[in-house]
Amino acid sequence: MEMTENQTFTERFDLLGCIQCGRCTGGCPVTVRTNLNVRRFVYDAYNEELLEELARAAEIWDCTACHTCAVRCPKGLKPLEVLIGLRSLLVESGKTQPSVRDALESVFREGNPWEKPRATRSDWMEGLDVPIAQPDQPVENLFFVCCTIAYDPRVQVIAQNLVRLLKGAGVNYAFLGDDESCCGSEVFTLGEEGLFEMIVEDNTELLNGYQAERIVALSPHCFTTFRTRYPNLKKPVLHYTQLLAELLEQGKLAFKGGLAKKIVFHDPCYLGKQSGVFDEPRRLLKAVDGVELVEFDRSRERSLCCEGGGGKMWVESESKKERLAETRIRDARALGADIVAVACPFCVLTLEDAVKALGYEEEMRVVEIMELLGELEVDQDKTNPA
Amino acid sequence: MKIFTCIKYVPDTSEAEVKLNPEGTAVDSSRFSFDINDADNYAVEESVQIKEKHGGSVTVVSIGPKQSEVMIRMALAKGCDNAIRIEDERIAAYDPIMVARVLAGAIKGQEFDLVLTGCMASDYGNAVTGVALAELLGVPHAAYVKKVEILDGKVKAHRELEGGLMEVVELTLPAVLTIQTGINEPRYAPIRGIREAQKKELKVVNLDDLGIAAGEVDANASHIVLEKLYIPEVESKAEIIEGDPDEKAEKLATILVKGGLV
Repeated sequence: MEMTENQTFTERFDLLGCIQCGRCTGGCPVTVRTNLNVRRFVYDAYNEELLEELARAAEIWDCTACHTCAVRCPKGLKPLEVLIGLRSLLVESGKTQPSVRDALESVFREGNPWEKPRATRSDWMEGLDVPIAQPDQPVENLFFVCCTIAYDPRVQVIAQNLVRLLKGAGVNYAFLGDDESCCGSEVFTLGEEGLFEMIVEDNTELLNGYQAERIVALSPHCFTTFRTRYPNLKKPVLHYTQLLAELLEQGKLAFKGGLAKKIVFHDPCYLGKQSGVFDEPRRLLKAVDGVELVEFDRSRERSLCCEGGGGKMWVESESKKERLAETRIRDARALGADIVAVACPFCVLTLEDAVKALGYEEEMRVVEIMELLGELEVDQDKTNPA
Repeated sequence: MKIFTCIKYVPDTSEAEVKLNPEGTAVDSSRFSFDINDADNYAVEESVQIKEKHGGSVTVVSIGPKQSEVMIRMALAKGCDNAIRIEDERIAAYDPIMVARVLAGAIKGQEFDLVLTGCMASDYGNAVTGVALAELLGVPHAAYVKKVEILDGKVKAHRELEGGLMEVVELTLPAVLTIQTGINEPRYAPIRGIREAQKKELKVVNLDDLGIAAGEVDANASHIVLEKLYIPEVESKAEIIEGDPDEKAEKLATILVKGGLV
């Protein structure tokens, strides 16, 4: 969504490239529960006089930025970005929902959207002896934790288990500590362009300042944002499931004991359809003895969005119809799954809420892959650190 | 309408454990985030809304460190016109009367119609600065204001009282209003606006610049001596009162009377 000052809205989003085929709306997952019709917005936004009115429409906040519309568009357009552009008009005028305002102000002041102090960003590391990266020391894998994993007690376990596992596998790695700041994924989708530009500039300088061979992101949101919206980032970026799958392949990682469970993997939008990482998380799950891996009908690039992205953590839809996360959990139950495995902190939070809302807590768990692997011991005999 | 809006940079104590320094004389603020005092944020919004409706200008006044300029720039981005930041270590900043004297010194001698402050700061919780400021400026005031109506040479202020009552008072201008949270919905200051606001004037001054004698606002001038800070011990005790309603009521009444609570 790069733009120059003089571009019109139409030029910026290539609105004239749209042929109104309807593949965007035909695939949009939220249309079953909201009035959002992205094709209409793409059509109407051509009329510059209508922009202000369109920016006031409540539906523009229903988009979860899952990118299904972009994946399906035969012209290679990104209809969702038209909605984000409309959100920007509102944000730039200062008229945002209070929850959005507070999240954005928190990113600006403290480097995270959760209104937590920067000074407590590394509290999750307590008792773990985590190596902190130094600009003058080379490191193979520089980890980027994510604000949600760093601060939310429910998902801190992702980072904590990863550290334990890395130690066992003899991997060279370091974390950023309190210097880490929000990647801006949700700032971008909430439409705060100025803040996002500032974040990209600051983070690029920070990350390029380390002698790291690669950056490994724990959240698919940071992963995809770094990959696609940081043009000057000099290091390759991986998702942690890619690193672990690589260690498996190299024989540097194996798990002791088994888990006789039926597991269904839910492809996070930011990992799967936006970054093409489908197989690595599955490989990790299959590496555990006894695991029976089953598949959703809507899997891989057709995966059903959990509605956690696109800034939706801070915006409630007006719709009272069943949440997509609940639909997803019903599907998992129909498959007879004991565990819904995910690889994204937002998916954990939304899908787990759905399990609770539906009252399936006794029969089903939602876990992040790292949470699950942490419950197994790393097999030092089978593991062969180089 | 010429408005002065006084704001304060305060720690957010809700998200980090409160610890004291070893001497027990100050709160260790190293793990807190700092931001504009909540009520002051509403005062900023109200002043900008008044300006948008009636014209004029808004000057932000704040006593605080260099780091607080982020907060001041955000207020300027929201529509305030210029700002004065007062920094001087000699000010006994824990004493709201001393703070009011400094603020009065910054405002006195300048033309103004309204001074807005938050009704209370979330750090010390005195709720004194605004009303003391009115006294020092020699103008009327209304505290805990939930609605403002500007009239000809007057202001109608709706005050929130105990028990949910609203009191409506009319004050002649100039006047001081201390603003209660919830009076409006503070707007967002987009980053492009904050960058744009770099062009607005932010004057940094000390007591000498303001012509205030340090001896009037320092620790010696203050009637407050901070002896000791401590974290209250957490205690929990619960007693379930058994019996039929009459017995329960009697037992409860006995406990309350014996405990000196009624």
